[in-house]
Amino acid sequence: MSTNNMLLSIGAFVILTTILSNVYGILGSTGDNISEAQDMILANTIASSYLEIAQGLAFDHITDTSDVAIANAMALTAADLLGPDGSDEDSIAGFTDIDDFNGLTFETTATGSDKRFKTEFKVSYVDPNNIDAISATQTFVKRLDLKIWRSFPPPEGLATDTLRMSHIMGYFHFD
Amino acid sequence: MQLILDYLGSVIIGAALLLVVLNANEMVSENQSVYNGDMLVQEMLVESAHFIEGEFRNMGLGVPERQCAILYADSGNIRFLYDIDRNGVPDSIRYFVGVPSELPGTQNELDRPLYRQVNSEPRHAIGVVTSFQMRYLTRSAVGIPRPVDPARLGEIHSVEITMEVQNPYAIIGSGGVAKEGQRSELYSSSLWQQTRLASWNSRR
Repeated sequence: MSTNNMLLSIGAFVILTTILSNVYGILGSTGDNISEAQDMILANTIASSYLEIAQGLAFDHITDTSDVAIANAMALTAADLLGPDGSDEDSIAGFTDIDDFNGLTFETTATGSDKRFKTEFKVSYVDPNNIDAISATQTFVKRLDLKIWRSFPPPEGLATDTLRMSHIMGYFHFD
Repeated sequence: MQLILDYLGSVIIGAALLLVVLNANEMVSENQSVYNGDMLVQEMLVESAHFIEGEFRNMGLGVPERQCAILYADSGNIRFLYDIDRNGVPDSIRYFVGVPSELPGTQNELDRPLYRQVNSEPRHAIGVVTSFQMRYLTRSAVGIPRPVDPARLGEIHSVEITMEVQNPYAIIGSGGVAKEGQRSELYSSSLWQQTRLASWNSRR
């Protein structure tokens, strides 16, 4: 085999190998995308479930049992004290108001799968005129921020996607 | 002699390359059909879930306060009130699953239609599922036995829905038996969803 033929053969091998590795790479990434989409469906359902529960809770510990805060926002729980109100609120079933979620992280196993998802919550008062602005003092609007990601199996290579959702709850009354 | 050896070597290498390419091609088409099946199932699931979530959220809307919004509650069958056309008269909405024999044209032995019926109008299939289970919980998150006793319908605080959709057609393997709630050898692209919906309007 002449040198030219040899070089041509080697070049053909290199091109073929490149094409094959690209094809397998595309296959792998498509599979990852499908799997990631499934994870996000699971994450979405878990997050929706938490938000549904949160929507069914009172605005504040004080508004759950009294109406003293109707005209006085300062009667509401202070911004730096948002969170579970006592030892009886150590699980979601015991939560009475939306800010009980503040600062907590839960890990849930998705039904029918061994995948686990971690959910982190943060509750803040926000400016009623600009719900993107967190308020250091009490207002009549709270925002629950939630982020959820797959914790098991741990992500390989690139970091796993994190799903973020928010829920705004206001405390208003109509006379 | 050298020329013959060159030819032989070329033929062997060419054949090996051809095999590699054919193998890659087969793998690509096989994976493509698996991925298409997975995507199809995800889309079917999400479509049905969106429909259900949207309507369950409105459960009890426009229903007089002293009237119970849920009329019947079983594991795969629920009937509730909701003023769907905002005419001041609550409508009866029913969700229920059919039986697998209603879909004889599909390979999957477990898939069945999910129906929605408004008042006494004809039922409409809104999706195809392999499992559709509802659990009813009290305010304290305690499950209520199903079918829910009519006297306890007012205790329902939230509804937990578990839905599974499998590909109607086999993608990998053959002759296996799909088991509910599991990925089977035959239908590799099965999916499920669980959500808990608590409608404010349903609480009376």
